[in-house]
Amino acid sequence: MVQSRARKVFGLVVLIFFLVIILLPFYWMVVTSFKPDLSLGAYPPSLFPHHFTLQHYHDAFVNDNFGIYIRNSVVVACTTTVIVLAFASMAGFAIARLPIRGKVTMLISLLIISMFPAISVVSPLYMLLRQVGWLNSYQALIIPYTAFNLPFAIWIMRNYFLQIPKALYEAAKIDGASVFQTYARIFVPLTTPGMFTAAVFTFVAAWTEFFMALTFNSSDSMRTIPVGIALFSGQFSVPYGTIFAGSVVAILPIVILTIVFRKWIVSGLTQGAVKG
Amino acid sequence: MNQATPNSPIVPPQAVNQKRRSILATDRRAGYGLAAPGIIVIALVTIFPILYSVWMSFNNINLTENGFQMTLNNFHNYSIIFHSSVFWNSAWFTFYYSVVTVAAELLLGLAIAIAIQGVKYLKNISVVIMLIPWALITTVSAEMWSYIYNGVYGVLNYLLQLAHIIHSPIAILSSTGPAVIAMMVADIWKTTPFVVIILVAGLQMIPNELYEAAYIDGAGGWKAFWHVTLPLLRGSLALAGLFRILQAFGVFDLPFVLTNGGPGNSTQSLAILGYRVMFNNTDFGAGSGIAVVSVVIVLIVSLIFLSAFRSIVTDGEGE
Repeated sequence: MVQSRARKVFGLVVLIFFLVIILLPFYWMVVTSFKPDLSLGAYPPSLFPHHFTLQHYHDAFVNDNFGIYIRNSVVVACTTTVIVLAFASMAGFAIARLPIRGKVTMLISLLIISMFPAISVVSPLYMLLRQVGWLNSYQALIIPYTAFNLPFAIWIMRNYFLQIPKALYEAAKIDGASVFQTYARIFVPLTTPGMFTAAVFTFVAAWTEFFMALTFNSSDSMRTIPVGIALFSGQFSVPYGTIFAGSVVAILPIVILTIVFRKWIVSGLTQGAVKG
Repeated sequence: MNQATPNSPIVPPQAVNQKRRSILATDRRAGYGLAAPGIIVIALVTIFPILYSVWMSFNNINLTENGFQMTLNNFHNYSIIFHSSVFWNSAWFTFYYSVVTVAAELLLGLAIAIAIQGVKYLKNISVVIMLIPWALITTVSAEMWSYIYNGVYGVLNYLLQLAHIIHSPIAILSSTGPAVIAMMVADIWKTTPFVVIILVAGLQMIPNELYEAAYIDGAGGWKAFWHVTLPLLRGSLALAGLFRILQAFGVFDLPFVLTNGGPGNSTQSLAILGYRVMFNNTDFGAGSGIAVVSVVIVLIVSLIFLSAFRSIVTDGEGE
């Protein structure tokens, strides 16, 4: 669009203002996590910290179980991501490039399933997990997270496979390669960008999921980080210092992922704008 | 492209057709094999439980030592649900919460996206900053906001006092009106950046020539917005809106931490109500009923949307 100078300056001002609004609550959380306990409940609050302390970080990871929560989240999120990638890549390839029946039905069903709220499956899954004695286990979360993240991942992978020319597939077949060889040797390496996108979305979803984690894994030693943070409470008041110290550490992996993979995330978001 | 195409004069056509059919069959079998693991997991862990919860909702369910007992009670659970004012309050709250937050996010997102479109500075850093709320753990953002909103020492009270909007700190999260608004603000803060990213990408796809043509035709500013920008952005807006609506509809984490459904039941979403009926009252029959109602609403909304935007789904399946 043809833009005047004033319009451009205005745009920049809006952008900076918007970014500041996004960052302010984070600023407050980070600053609070370094403040000594006494000044957490002070009113008026000091907008800039006067004394720094690492006490809350020590509390969260030495005295309390935030280390365990993070370990649980790492196990669950990483395992889920690996399984989802493997299954989604295979299914995405089949839907994009192989002559299977019912593709459109499959794609529409996947899209609808990916929109279901967690509550729609919680009661039967809880009953099932309880019956087989899997409540408070890693598989209690890995299995449903895999199922819930597969539809979007399959969509992403299918879109990437569609971009690879069909001729490549036919050429490989003529050279005598089996379907699986063609897939593994030619198509998989060409769709690594799609893998990045699917991996980041799955990891973030598994890292942040709360409802199922709360209902299936509520015992203290099996909590993931979102549940650990939500259920963490002190004897007399909400221990914000410790909660924020744990939170700052818990969102670090996500911040790093976002910085490294921003390109792939944006491509995933705009490629159907699925999930928020 | 190669010697073995059907037009090749060396091989007789029938043999080619036969060969082709057998290749097709092999390919098809391989396709089912490759798709199976993923599709089976999805079917077993999402579709089957959803159907089973429909069945559960027609039963009275008692938890036993290491299992459960179901006795058919027909529409009893639904009769309780639909005769309960608590359910209707939850449904109403969930409805207006979804509509208001998503409308605000789309409008704000559109305004911001249009304003910052064409800004050449801070590109990388602003993408990262806008993505972080999207990837943020909701319970973390809820704890963050609950500290900001605190009625005794919250920084928001202090800032409002500094600005002379209020005289003394108010209990934001324990009075109905302010609690609802506070929750909406926390939601809008978290998801507007996501909408902005989608719309900025949508705006970039609109070719410059269209604006130039509109300009030559004498349509500037508002007119260009109404007749060029908005129609071409419709797809991205609708898609972002649908996913946000459905997500807002399942809202759980934010009220769970921020208000615990209160004060009273004023921020008790359907998901919170379902959770409480299941895990606080251990009534899994009625709880499943509430889950089924949510599923039906989600299905209706997405089917309406999909029939309107079928082309988005079938794109690329024309071959």
